Order: sequence, then C-alpha cells, then structure tokens
Amino acid sequence: MISSPFGPMAFLLDEGGVRGIISLHLVDLAIIVIYFVAVLGIGFYLKRYAKTGEDFFVAGRKMTAWVAGLAFISANLGSLELMGWAGNAYQYGILAAHWYWIGAIPAMLFLAVIMMPFYYICRTHSVPGYLSLRYGHATSGLSAITFAFMTILMSGVNMYAMAVVMQVILGWNLHFSIWVSSLTVGVYVALGGLYSAIFNEVVQFFLIWLGALLIPILGLVETHGWAGMVARIQHNFPGQDFTHMWGPMLHPSQNPMGVQWVAIVFGLGAVLSMGYWTTDFLVVQRVLSAKDLRSAKMAPVIGAFFKMAVPFIVILPGLLGLAVLPFHLFPVNAAAPGQHTYDQVLPLMLARYCGPGLLGLGITALIAGFMSGMAGNISAFATVWTYDLYRPFIKKHASDSHYVAMGRWCTMIGLIISIGAAYIVTHFGSLMDYVQALFSFFIAPLFGTVLIGMLWKRATKAAGFWGLLAGITTAITTFALMHGHPERVAWFCFYAGAKPLAQQMWQALWAFVAVVGVTFVVTMATRPRPAAELRGLVMGETEIPSEGHLPLLRRPIFWAALCFAVFLVLQYIFR
Amino acid sequence: MAEEKSREAGQGGGGKKVAADTVDPHSEEHHMIPVWFFVGLLLLIYGILILIQGISEWSHPPGTELSHLHPTVWWSFALIILGGIFSVKHFPKKKS
Repeated sequence: MISSPFGPMAFLLDEGGVRGIISLHLVDLAIIVIYFVAVLGIGFYLKRYAKTGEDFFVAGRKMTAWVAGLAFISANLGSLELMGWAGNAYQYGILAAHWYWIGAIPAMLFLAVIMMPFYYICRTHSVPGYLSLRYGHATSGLSAITFAFMTILMSGVNMYAMAVVMQVILGWNLHFSIWVSSLTVGVYVALGGLYSAIFNEVVQFFLIWLGALLIPILGLVETHGWAGMVARIQHNFPGQDFTHMWGPMLHPSQNPMGVQWVAIVFGLGAVLSMGYWTTDFLVVQRVLSAKDLRSAKMAPVIGAFFKMAVPFIVILPGLLGLAVLPFHLFPVNAAAPGQHTYDQVLPLMLARYCGPGLLGLGITALIAGFMSGMAGNISAFATVWTYDLYRPFIKKHASDSHYVAMGRWCTMIGLIISIGAAYIVTHFGSLMDYVQALFSFFIAPLFGTVLIGMLWKRATKAAGFWGLLAGITTAITTFALMHGHPERVAWFCFYAGAKPLAQQMWQALWAFVAVVGVTFVVTMATRPRPAAELRGLVMGETEIPSEGHLPLLRRPIFWAALCFAVFLVLQYIFR
Repeated sequence: MAEEKSREAGQGGGGKKVAADTVDPHSEEHHMIPVWFFVGLLLLIYGILILIQGISEWSHPPGTELSHLHPTVWWSFALIILGGIFSVKHFPKKKS
C-alpha cells in the first residue's frame, strides 16, 4: 500500500474517513483534475459544430475510419469491464480471453464485411431506425423502448458500481464519485453531442492504454517473461491449468467455468457476441459516424485489431496477479475483512508497480474507461429516444433544430434518471444482478431479427415483430426457469454444473433459435413486401459498391482477412 | 420521413451528405481542430508532470516493486515523445 496524506483533498474521502487500497499524491490528483478540465474543454469547443441533427446524433458522418474505429472500441472499454475481466482472469485463467477473441473478433469482422453496407447505405441514424425501415414502426418501437430503458438503467447500475469501486480503491465518497463524473459526462455530451462523445472516447482510448500498459510490462519483467509467469502460477496453484484456452474445453467438468466448446463457439461466438457487436446501438453508433462506406467498414476492423490486444492490459494483469501477489484473492461473498476480492486484482497490480504520477495516470485510465462507457450509453439513449421514439410516435414533423434541442435535453434528463437508478441500486443491491440479466434478454433476439432482415428479403413486417417478441420471451423464460433452480440448468445447458456465464450463452442460443423459428413460420404465413420497398435494406436488393478498383492495402476485406488470420494464430498459440 | 429520403442519398455509399446541405463551406466546420491534437497535448502535459515527479524521486524511489528501474521516468519519456509527435503533426493550422 502506498501511503500519503490527502491533506487539502480530504473532502474526497468517505464520511467515515475510509481509506482505500491506494492513496494518491498531489501529482496524481493534478493528473485527474487536468483530465476533467480537458474533457469539459473539448465539449465546450465542439458545441459550435453540433448544430444540426446530423451533427449532434451522428457527428455529421464525417469521422475517419481511425477515429470511428477507436471510438467504437473505446465505448466498450468501460472500467468495470476492465476490472471485472481482470478479476475473471484471476479466477478462471486465460479462459477469460475467450470474451475478447472468439467473443468479439468474428462478430466485429462480420459487422464490417457483411452488415455495415446495409446499415450505412440506408443512412439510418440507429439500429431501431434500420428496423423501422425494414420491418416498420412496431418492431422498431419494441426494440427502441427496450434499448432506451435498458441503456439508461445499465448506465445507472454502472455508475453505482463504479462509485463503489472508487470507494473501495481510493476511499472516495460515493455521492462525490456519482455526481462529479456523471455531470461531467452529461455536460460534454449535451454540448457537443456525438462529436464530443467520440472525441473524448479517442482521448480516453489513449489514456486507458497508456495508464494500464505498464502493469503487464513490469509484471513480465518481474516474472522474467511468459514462461517464468507460468512457472510461478503452477508453483502457487499446483494442479490447476490457468494458461490454456481450448484444452480444458472438451468437457464442462474440466474447467472452472463449467462450460464446453459448443457453448463458447455457438453461444458466445455465434450469437451473444454477434448480438452485442452488430446490433447494440451503443457501439454501432460510432461506426455510423464514418465519412463514407469504406471508412465505415474499416472502423470495426481497426477496432478488432485493438480488441485482440486488450487481453494484454486486462487478462495478463489477472494472470500476473496469480503469479506475483503474495496473498490469494477471493470471491466477493467469500472475502473476510482485510482480504481482497478477485475484482481488485487490477488496482492491486497498479499499486504494486506504479508510484506517484504513474498511479494518477492509472486511476485516470479507470475514470476515463468509466466515462467513455457512460458517454456511450447517454449519447445512444439521446439518439434512440429522439429519432426512434419521440419523432415517429410523439412529434412527427418538427424542425431539425427542435430535434437537436430534444437531444440535448434528453441527454441531461437521461443522466438524471441514471443517477436515480444508481441510488435505487444503492438501497436494493440485488437489483444489480437482475438489471444485468435483463440486458442479455434483448441482445440475442435483436441480432436474429436484424440479421434475418438483412439477409432474407422474404421476411415480412409481422414476422420481424413476432420473431423479436418470441426471442425476448424465450430468453426471459429460460432465465426464470434456471434462476434459483439448479436442477433445471441441465434442461437448457445439458450440464447441471453450468455456471452463470455458461447459462447466459445457452440462454442466448435458445433465444436466437426461437427468433429464427418464429420469423420463418410467420413469414411463410404472411405476404412479402414489394422488392422496391426493400432497396438499400436487404441482400439481393442492394447494390453494394465494389472495392475492386482500390489498391489491396485500402480494401477493408484484406485487413479483415488479416485480422482473422491473426485471431486464428492466437487461438493456436494459447490452445 | 427524413430517414426515407436520406436513404436514397446514401445509396452506393458515396452519396451526398445530408450535413453538407446545412453547412457553410466557408464556416469553421472546415477548421475543426483534429482530435489527435487534443490527444497529443494531454499526453505531453502528463509526460512533463510525470517526468518532474520521476526526477524528484530519482534518489529516493517509492516503495513499489521494480522502482529501482525508474519506470516513472522512462514512461514519461514515452508520453512526451508520443504527445510531442501528435501535437506537432496535428497542430491547428491558420484559416486560409
């Protein structure tokens, strides 16, 4: 533990004067304060550019592939995710990297190569906007309501969880963390819209990397490389395999997750991750801001290369924690007073290697991760509310400036609702688990509905709506039947010992099957839309510009293939 | 619906941008400071702050692991170099 008095900054401390795992020096606090000033300054600077709806909600569709790609990946790099997955790596070993590789890369490349042309060519502002064009307002409304509700609730839950983390790590006051960070995000997003969110996400991307990168570098220096780290882990935890990804996947009893390769490949790789990376508007919105179709296709590919590298700053610190920490970590519900939990491995490693200055940079990285995630939620909420709920259902023919004003107002209102949700969770902690489960109910069905809509022109409006509803219902039913009834887990997962992560994958798989089945049956029983109405929306009715005239190095398909090849090599190396 | 109309414009991916209709070509729009400059400036400031901290503790390193390697100083160099490159390369140009 690094000790240094807060001095004049003592107001940051919790009411009881609680001190966290880490104490900060003045230089660390200066780094954090400069960060807040910078993000607000960027927001004020960009306000003058966010004049039209196109500016405010899709950043004028002027972003280059690099800016859109880094924002795309940064919106997903929330600090809860960073700390949570580092904790998972400590608990499950390198198995956790599945969520960064097979659980992300194929889906991101699929978005780039297959789905992006349809999103981009139809010039939609959002994913529910695409559903409106393809299936009509009923399907779009269902998707928009669930997305808006869940996004704002998730934002509140994350806000609360982050405040708790700051309290535990730094001893910061819960209310201080919630209000200062969320109002900062609210101000800069309300001022500059998606311009501001994207610019700050790019800044946050660099801070997250440069703040966290020293941990694996110094960790590998201490353990004398990968082989030394593996040897230390085997010494500290004899008989357990923490460093192979596919070997222990043949049977669920062979790994601590209770999962087998079928669920990882089909549940996680083919459904859950596809749902998140291709239809969760929070991330897709960043790509829609690209300046042309080639940039829109390149952005997820650029994001995929960086996503493949994220385990270096997330999974590796967890593994290094197994190797070098002189004490063991425990699950939250099993940690005695004075003991540390799995999720604290990243801050513990930060405190192990980083002195004053570097510590401030690392904590700024965590705060930046939190704020980039929240900005993603808030800006996506503002767009979906304004364009997919307010405009079609409440005020159809208002001026562009009216919708921009609505976007600004609902950014702040959404934020206030999120803060309210955070305080509700403060009093009803168990709600958190349910909210996270709720989000998973909508991802897989939405993917099924969007994918069928893009690839099968026969699919009808009614089929889209009933298919989506059937998928959501299946996901909720599967969850309800398994939750609290371990004996029923085997019904859906084919293995009674399946852990919650494995259950989530099977739940997604069944929801997807329900969407496909119901959409097919209803389509066959209803009349198809005329082909002319589907132009620019569906494969076979959309002219996708050829890239044949581009040099090889400028073709998205070339970089996507290279990225996939690197992904396969990584699977082989860590098999 | 505006979205229906803009769909036509987007066909082929190289369509006319909706925003282009509403933006004066001589406005500030074309002089927006690149995001890379903001990134560079922030990294440069952080690099200098961390370098000062690293030099001040050179003879009395903090009690962290491997502090004898002075990671604070080396990392500050990385930040200054990266920040410097970004700041200089993307320094805002005067309006023509």
